Amino acid sequence: MRQPRSDFILFYLFCTFFILLIGFPFFWQITNSLKIEKEIFELRWMPSRIILNNYKEAFIRQPLLKFLFNSSIISSGATVLALLFGSMAAYSLARTDIRGKRLILLIILSVSLLPPIVIINPIYSIIRSLKLLNSHFGLMMVDTLFGLTISVWFLTPYFQSVPMDLEESAFIDGASPFLSFRKIIIPIVTPGIFTVGILVFIKAWNDFLFALVLNPIRARTVTVGLKLYESDNYIPWGTLMAASVVIVVPLIVVVLLLQKRIIGGLMEGGLKE
Amino acid sequence: MGYLFLIPTMTIFFAFAIYPVFRTIYLSFFEYRLQFGNLKKFIGLTNYMKMFSSERFYLSLRFTMLFTFLTVSIEVFLGLIFAQFMNKNYPGKSLLRVVVLIPWAIPTIVSGFIWRFMVDDIYGVVNGILLSLGIIKEFIPWLSQTGSATVVLLVADIWKTTPYVSLLVLAGLQNIPRSFLEAAEIDGANGLKTYLYITFPLLKPVLATATLFRLIQSFKVYAIVVALTNGGPANTTEPLTLFTLRTYFDAGNYGYGAALASFTFIITVVIALLFLNIILKKVDI
Repeated sequence: MRQPRSDFILFYLFCTFFILLIGFPFFWQITNSLKIEKEIFELRWMPSRIILNNYKEAFIRQPLLKFLFNSSIISSGATVLALLFGSMAAYSLARTDIRGKRLILLIILSVSLLPPIVIINPIYSIIRSLKLLNSHFGLMMVDTLFGLTISVWFLTPYFQSVPMDLEESAFIDGASPFLSFRKIIIPIVTPGIFTVGILVFIKAWNDFLFALVLNPIRARTVTVGLKLYESDNYIPWGTLMAASVVIVVPLIVVVLLLQKRIIGGLMEGGLKE
Repeated sequence: MGYLFLIPTMTIFFAFAIYPVFRTIYLSFFEYRLQFGNLKKFIGLTNYMKMFSSERFYLSLRFTMLFTFLTVSIEVFLGLIFAQFMNKNYPGKSLLRVVVLIPWAIPTIVSGFIWRFMVDDIYGVVNGILLSLGIIKEFIPWLSQTGSATVVLLVADIWKTTPYVSLLVLAGLQNIPRSFLEAAEIDGANGLKTYLYITFPLLKPVLATATLFRLIQSFKVYAIVVALTNGGPANTTEPLTLFTLRTYFDAGNYGYGAALASFTFIITVVIALLFLNIILKKVDI
């Protein structure tokens, strides 16, 4: 199609506007994490001298390292479980002739739409009676639930796209469905599983509501921990910004390294019909 | 064999989602308080009657509905415009797509705190900029007034979520066959006409999906409010999720909380039913 010159200019005006709009809060977060309190108050654009004191404070005022450790354990555990169980479920939905597939997918979609508040108190009771409040494993199970809605949903069509004859020839050679799942399907779908794993991990890492309700005292995650820097009438903004930079750095690194896959995954999720 | 593979997933779903939904609805008919231990007394619809005569409930419902309506409509509108730009084939378009991912990827609580810092009445850069531009004469205490606090919440949510909505719309745009648009151009349709009669109708399924997901997500708004206003001033920005959570865990009133949670459930079901044809299409296998 024709691309008039004005179109070109408009595009770059938009780019500038958009990047400033999205980038400014991050710019402000990072520069203020490097300023002394006086310069934060003076609203200086850039620190006159870069100091790392806020980062030191962030690790001293609260056990930030511990929060990071807890979040890592819980999110990676939930990711592994959601991928393991999710790929098994997706395989059976995509590749076997069980009945009630539509119903199962409907349940999965419904749970992904379910507001957490609807189920939070019964979940709290279950986790409490299992003596798993304030533990890694309890929150991990709940994050696995929401991770599964993502993994089954994305992996089912992905498994369907693997050519049938590959598997058929394995069956002819006498392989069981389990063997074919492990030796044929899994290697082919590994890139897809990887992408879904990132989506699950980010969701678990960012969870706030369940982390707050289930782990308020011990095994606290980064999102719950961030709230603790705030006291009744004082917020150490420099320290809080430093802590929040530390929390988002792993996510931003992952996103920048794997942007193509993530964008692909998100766009497919919206289109899937 | 196929069924066997479903067992772990379905067990987790039943234990942590399906059973809890029914349990919540069941408990909403009981007088059940943390303070009385495990004592439950069946009281029929009393919790619901209490809810519908509670001023705080209506305040919360009104805020939640206003927030949902405004965020979703503005995000979809902006998403349509942004996606149009992101679909252009100029150098730099991949940078645009990366930038879009970052607000989506960070925890809501983090973006909430960044915005709270920017609108702080003393340390806030927003007041600083407005003051130096001469738009305001003195610092505005953004989060201590209902109106401005609501605006900040809306802006923070729109800032975080519009990029994601734009990506969904972009996926829809890229799915439109080029030949359709070329045919329209050959027939002499201008840009606006092509958009209104060809592009937009073909985007409808994607828009409906995005709207469905966003309506339900926005209705359960929680983390952004906790970071920014914590429901204040005077509970005027308290969404239903926060009100319910406080009823459950601060007041220890499990029965009344369950009625509030069931109300959120019913609203979600109603929204889902409005989009039933889309949902059913999605589960076709």
